[in-house]
Order: sequence, then C-alpha cells, then structure tokens
Amino acid sequence: MTGSPPPGAADRPGSFFIGSRSTAGSPAVFPVLLGLPVLLWQLIFFAGPLVFLVVITFWQVKSFRLSPAFVADNWEKVLTSTAFLRALGHTLTVAGTTTVLATAIALPAAYTIAFRLPPRLRDFAVAFLVVPVFSSYILRIYAWQVVLSPQGVINGIAGLVGIEPLPLLGGAFSLQIGLLTLTLPIAVLILTFGFAGVDRTLIEAAENLGCRRSRVVAHVLLPAIRPAIALAATTSFLLAFGDYVSPLFMTGSKPPTLSIVVVDTVKSGSQWPRASVVGVSMLLILVAVLALGQLLSRRTRLRRGGR
Amino acid sequence: MPKPFLPDLSRRGFLKAGAAAGALAATSRWSPALADEPGVLNYLSWPGNADPYLVEAFEKENNCKIRIKEYVGGDQMLAVINQSPPGSFDVVLADAEYMHLLHEADFIEELDPADYPLQDYWPEFQKFPLHWFDDKLYGVMTDFGYLGLSYNTSIYKPEELSSYAAMWAEKAKGKVGFFDWYLPSMGCVSLSNGNRPPFDIDGDKFEALKEKLFSLKPQASGFYTIADIFSSLTNGQAHLIPGIGEWITLGLRQSGVPVDTIIPEEGGLQWTESLSIVKGTPKKDLARKFIQYTASPQGQVLQATKVDNKKSIPSIAGWKLLNETMPKEAEILRLRLDAPNVMDEYKAKKIQFRQLPSQQSIEEWNDVWSEFKSL
Repeated sequence: MTGSPPPGAADRPGSFFIGSRSTAGSPAVFPVLLGLPVLLWQLIFFAGPLVFLVVITFWQVKSFRLSPAFVADNWEKVLTSTAFLRALGHTLTVAGTTTVLATAIALPAAYTIAFRLPPRLRDFAVAFLVVPVFSSYILRIYAWQVVLSPQGVINGIAGLVGIEPLPLLGGAFSLQIGLLTLTLPIAVLILTFGFAGVDRTLIEAAENLGCRRSRVVAHVLLPAIRPAIALAATTSFLLAFGDYVSPLFMTGSKPPTLSIVVVDTVKSGSQWPRASVVGVSMLLILVAVLALGQLLSRRTRLRRGGR
Repeated sequence: MPKPFLPDLSRRGFLKAGAAAGALAATSRWSPALADEPGVLNYLSWPGNADPYLVEAFEKENNCKIRIKEYVGGDQMLAVINQSPPGSFDVVLADAEYMHLLHEADFIEELDPADYPLQDYWPEFQKFPLHWFDDKLYGVMTDFGYLGLSYNTSIYKPEELSSYAAMWAEKAKGKVGFFDWYLPSMGCVSLSNGNRPPFDIDGDKFEALKEKLFSLKPQASGFYTIADIFSSLTNGQAHLIPGIGEWITLGLRQSGVPVDTIIPEEGGLQWTESLSIVKGTPKKDLARKFIQYTASPQGQVLQATKVDNKKSIPSIAGWKLLNETMPKEAEILRLRLDAPNVMDEYKAKKIQFRQLPSQQSIEEWNDVWSEFKSL
C-alpha cells in the first residue's frame, strides 16, 4: 500500500535506468520516498507499541514494579478468570446489540437522506451528522446523564404528568443510548454515502421494468450497498466493543465491559501485564470482526462480478 | 512461582523486552531532572494537597516551592515510589494502611518524636499504632475521617440505618451505590458480618464475607469513581453508599444536596493520612519543617477547612485555634471541644482502622471484588 510503484511502472522495466541520473525524480523511486514517512509513522506509532503490548503480557509485576520475564502466568490467570469471561460475554453482547440497532436505525435514515430529501436539505442533514463526530463524546454522555437521571429532564416531565420516576439511567437501555450516541452518526454517514454512490440508472431500469419501490430497495439498493452496510456494521462494532466512556458513566460499570476490566486491572496492583493480556485479546477479537466484515463485502463483489 | 515458557524463546523475548523497557521508563517515571533543585520540596501526595491555601504560608516562610506529584490511591502511590530513583521525593503523604509497606520496603525515614508536636494530639493519636514500627515513629498524622454508610436524607431517617442490614432491604433494591475500591466497600460488609477487626479474618470468615457481598448484587446501582459518587448521590441514582464518609457528604450537604453519613452500630472505618520523610532525600531539614508546619495548630486548621475536602484533625491545639478563629466551621466539622464531636464515635469504640487484608493477599480481595462487579 505504502511503497509500491504505480501499475504503469512495472510495464516499463527500462524506465528506472533511464531516469537513474536523478533517482528522486524517477517514477519508481518517488512514490517510495513519498510512502516512507507513512511507513515510518506506522512502525513507530502502531507496530512498535503493538509489539511492546504483546511482549509485556509475559512480564511480571514485583512489588508494584514491572520486571521483564517470560512467563505465561498472566495469560493463564486472565483467560481463566470468571470476571474476564463474564466481561467478554457481556461486551460481545453489548457491541453486537449496538451493531444491530445502529445498522437498523441508520438504514432507513440514510435512505431518506439520500433519496427523499431535496439536495439542500440533504447537505444540511449530512453536516448535522458530521458535527457530533467532532464534538466531545464525554460531554454528550454527561448531557445524557442529566436527561436520564432519576431527577433528570425526562423524569421531571414525566413527574408533571404524574408518572413515577423511571429508572432510565444505569442499565442496558442507557448503555445502548450512550453507545448509539457514539456509533449512529457514523453509521448513518457511511450508509448515506453508500446510497448516494448507487448508479441511478439501475434504479430507473428496475422501475421501468415494473418494480415497486420495496422491490427496488430489496433487490437493487441493498445488494448494491452491501459493502457500505458491512463497513457501517463493523465500524459500529469496533467503536462499541472498545468503548470505555458509556459503560462507565451510563451504567456505573455494572456490569463491567472489557475496557473497564483493563482499567481495573491496572488500578489494583499495577497489573500492566494482565491488562495487556486483556488488551491483546480485545485486539484479536477486533481483527476477527474486521476480517468477517471484509469477507461479507467481498463475497458480494465476487457474486456481482460473476453475473 | 513463575513457570518457564518455551525456554528457547525466552532469551529473544527478554532482549525484545529490554529494548522496550527504555520506552516504558520514559513514560512511567516521574522525571527526576528537576527533583534535586534547591529550594524545591518534592511532595508525593493525593491531589489537591499543594493547594496554595495549604502551603502558601510555608513556601513564603521558607523561601521554597512545593512541587507535588499527585497520585490517586495507595496502589498508585506505591507504584510511583517503586519506579522512581532515590531522591525523587522528599516527603510522602500516605494512608495509614500503606505505611507498613513503605516501611518494609525501606522507603521512609525513622522520625524523632521530639521533633513534632505530638503531645498536642488527642491521646488516642499520640502513638497511632499504624505509624509506629518497633516503637519507632515513621509518620506524623495530619488528618483523619470516618467511613460508614452515606445516605439520602429525603429517603431515609437515621433510625432506619442503625445497621448495615438496611442495604439488603427491599427499599434499597437497585439503590446501593459502591465506591469502586475493594477496601472500604468490603470493609463495611465485613463489619456487617460482625468481623472486628474487619480486615484480619480467617479463611472461613473470608468465604462468608464473599457470600454476603455477592448477596448484595441485586441491590447495587453501580460502581463509582469519586466524581461519579458525587453525581449519583446528587441525581438520586444511589440512595445508600457504604464505605464513604463526611469527606464526601459534608461538601455535598453544604451545597444543598440532602445527604449525610451515619456510623451504623456494627461500626465504621477510619482513614488516616500521615506525612513521612522519604529515604535518601538531601533535604531532610526542609522536609522536617514541612511536617512540623502541617502538624502545627495553624497547619491543622488549614487541613480541616480546605474547601474541596473537609477533614478531621488530630491536634487538640488545632481544634482550639479553629474554635477561636472559625467557630462556625468548628461546629459544621464537629470539631468543638465543648459539644458532641468526632471523638465520640472513637471513644465509643465504634471505629476500626482501615487496613490492608492481613490473612489473605490484596489480590485475593481484589479478585473477589472484580467477581462481585461482574456478577
């Protein structure tokens, strides 16, 4: 991705030698030079820390100090602890639920934005979706606390009508609200761009052939944006799976998710190695989910190509 | 016991680790570069303790600057001091239950009791057991407070909370908040099981404690950081919180939130802070002066009346000065000499020290706490 020459360069094997007098200007070397900073950046800020994270899982903590070692104790201890396994199950359930909800809510919203709104309103809606992505997530979560708490806005209004305070804050409901606050704008944006990119002539063709709108959606639109759906779903999953803010502030860590387990593990006894084990396990799960998403969108492409 | 894991790989892993260690050292160590600057007192402490309100007078008097390295929780304090080269800190403020660890690891200096106004202290605190080892003084108490059951006064009358059993009642279902720290939270449950002292219990009692704790799960509203304790008490998410005290509820009450703390009949816990001189400091004199200043009547009054964190103080001379200069504060803080005051609970033997578990490891207690949270 980073240092490969453009496709044309390979077709002209002589070009490298012709331009060798000023190598930097040669079409083969220049892209390499351009790509180098990216490669270095990735090595320093991604690959390096990742290797370190894995190495540290084999270290030990002796009297609150990290000491290099090579033991599998941390893996054994974490992977067999009930607290970790429960948190894993809980986090998978929560992130899975968020993914389904975000995709299910985002699809009709994105469809409306892409096909039903006049162009000016559409741009306005997209801008409105972009703004939350750049505003502080913690701030938005605190705002939800104010809205949902027993003495908050909703219960205040409900109280006026004579409804008993509802336990809105601190549970699966508030957790999903928090996570959807994080994921929904992004899912809608991805799907909106997905719908916007669909070739309109395909829709016209389907309509000319007598398809009703529901059939157009089911047989033309949805298959066409399957990669976008896979991307929106995996993005939602990744964000929800690793989130720390919503589980902490919307449920009071009850029950804890894996990101909370990471913090707890460090907090009690400076167990960085065990926290790293949890971190590496989370990364592995995310890689698996990404691979699944890739597989889903690629299968569509193959099938479409085959037709 | 560490188990060797594929010995042929271990050397390579170790080399990789060594290379990475440098990177870690750069991030996790308190920079010692400025630590030996003259006229600077390096202070390892809970947040807020280098507030100008507390230390400005000392800095002026001694023409020095106090540089604080803040920690949150004793574990973090031990981690910081373990990872720092000698001489990084001159003074450390520690909770009493961590003092024996600091002493055993040889991090703190023996103090001369004659240097400090301990004779001004309440007799109970002149030779506070957790600050003395082999009859030698290692820390000078600066302040203390009690932990019991904090509650919403618009939901509960104090009579309903004469026992921790109230946490298991139907009324408290889903309304018991927890400070997310195993020690005070499990300490209160241990007290409710009749364990005195609550942290020195054998295997059977530990099992019973575990069972009792787990039975609280349906009552739990959540596990809170300090900031979230404030908001959950304020917004009504939690009606009861064990293991916290007036250091939280007093400030909230003054800003109009209906909360108070009660010490149930099974007893409460005492947290205690003290100052010690860190071994290897070249500024022993300045460090000693700082401790003397904090233990002096003026220093004690400042400790008690700090805006963000109200504390009880051990010095009777400090109480006297507070009653003379700020009688209103003395009343609010229950530090009046001629009326019911914070020493009453102590004298009624309702108070147990917050200590680290002695028959189990910290890890065992922590694991139980993690499991409770994940139930």
